[in-house]
Amino acid sequence: MSFWTRTLLADAGPLLHGLYVTLSISLIAFVVAATVGLGICVARSRLPVLTPLFAVYIAFCRNTPIFIQLLWVAYAWYELLGWPKEVYTAAWVALALQSSGYLAETFRAGIDSVPGGQIEAAHALGITPLTTWRRIIAPQMLLTIAPSLMNQLIVIIKCSTLVSVIAVPDLMFQALRLTGIWGDPVPIMSFVAVIFIAVIMALSALSKSLADHTRARLGS
Amino acid sequence: MYGLSIFWDYRVILWHGLLINLLVFLLSSCLGLIVGLLACICRLSSLRPVRTLAACYIEVIRSAPELVLLFWIYSVVPVLLSDLLRTHLSFDPIVSATLALGLVSSGYFAETFRAGIQAVPAGHVEAAQALGMTGAAILRRIVLPQAVRLMLPELMSQNIGLLKTTTLVSVITVPDIMYQINLIVQQEMRPLPLYTGTAVAFFVLILILTSLVGRVGLRGA
Repeated sequence: MSFWTRTLLADAGPLLHGLYVTLSISLIAFVVAATVGLGICVARSRLPVLTPLFAVYIAFCRNTPIFIQLLWVAYAWYELLGWPKEVYTAAWVALALQSSGYLAETFRAGIDSVPGGQIEAAHALGITPLTTWRRIIAPQMLLTIAPSLMNQLIVIIKCSTLVSVIAVPDLMFQALRLTGIWGDPVPIMSFVAVIFIAVIMALSALSKSLADHTRARLGS
Repeated sequence: MYGLSIFWDYRVILWHGLLINLLVFLLSSCLGLIVGLLACICRLSSLRPVRTLAACYIEVIRSAPELVLLFWIYSVVPVLLSDLLRTHLSFDPIVSATLALGLVSSGYFAETFRAGIQAVPAGHVEAAQALGMTGAAILRRIVLPQAVRLMLPELMSQNIGLLKTTTLVSVITVPDIMYQINLIVQQEMRPLPLYTGTAVAFFVLILILTSLVGRVGLRGA
């Protein structure tokens, strides 16, 4: 059987499921990381007492290799806390852990980019802090950091290939498994590499056009 | 402290593992810088096909996940080369790891070189030309001194990223520090102190390097 008949007949199912696992883990990790990053960013400005704690957290997330974080979450956390029980959970937790550190800094830069005078003006006009946040800070901040957010999503997808090491059945895991079954790494590995490169290139093209759009909108 | 003495018991193989990480890092960084510089020169070439080809290479290599490239070079390249040369070839995993990580970083290095060179104002080059300086002299005396200063902080942080990425090479059986740690975990069945200790050790190591680079970056600015 040639590679293409084999792929279309027998391996399409596992490969598609693998792609689904890769994308779903990446997306969950991204949403969790963005939420935690934003939470840290807001908490840091509200509770200056905790600043050193958050600084250590952010530095740890950013400076530890993702592979070590993954194994640490998957095996050390389980021994310590009895959680996460499934490798799938461990996978997105580890990916989110690393990105939350990067995204906390991204959000801070975004908030800092909104001129302080606008917030003071809103205050002087009697606009409540929540409305100020919702109508004045958030829209401008999101516009500024949208390209960085996209970039972090791309980083997560790239790092998500690592979860195959802890036996999460993602696209990379399926590629390795099918290599083992058919004993021929050349077509399947190349095919999967092309899929990954295509997905990531499409996302970076999207991110680039988003950045151009933002720049045109902000007129800088 | 309880549990951490395990690191002392296995200090010899852990030290050897760390040296392998450093070796892979140094080799792939050199390869990445050379290939990245070549790609950057081609990217800025006045010949259109050369420019397009280099742009494609940089774009594709920057889009490839490290682990995918690592496995691809480890498992596919020897087979293709063996078919091509009609002999049986096999690479040492360290060679595959160096090739993969070197190629991955070459894409990033090329873009950094390009950004640095293009950040030098065109007026400087034009002024030098007006003064009658030769092309080589302009490059050596005007463009490079400014460009190198601009790209140095970025290059350093990319190298730190590369050092972090070298922890991946254990998946293609390079006996680096994570390979040894995983073996010890299987032997002793104690993941908690081993993985926590490794995470903290790398955190401190990379943090020190990052702050050193930050200082160099400030001086350059």
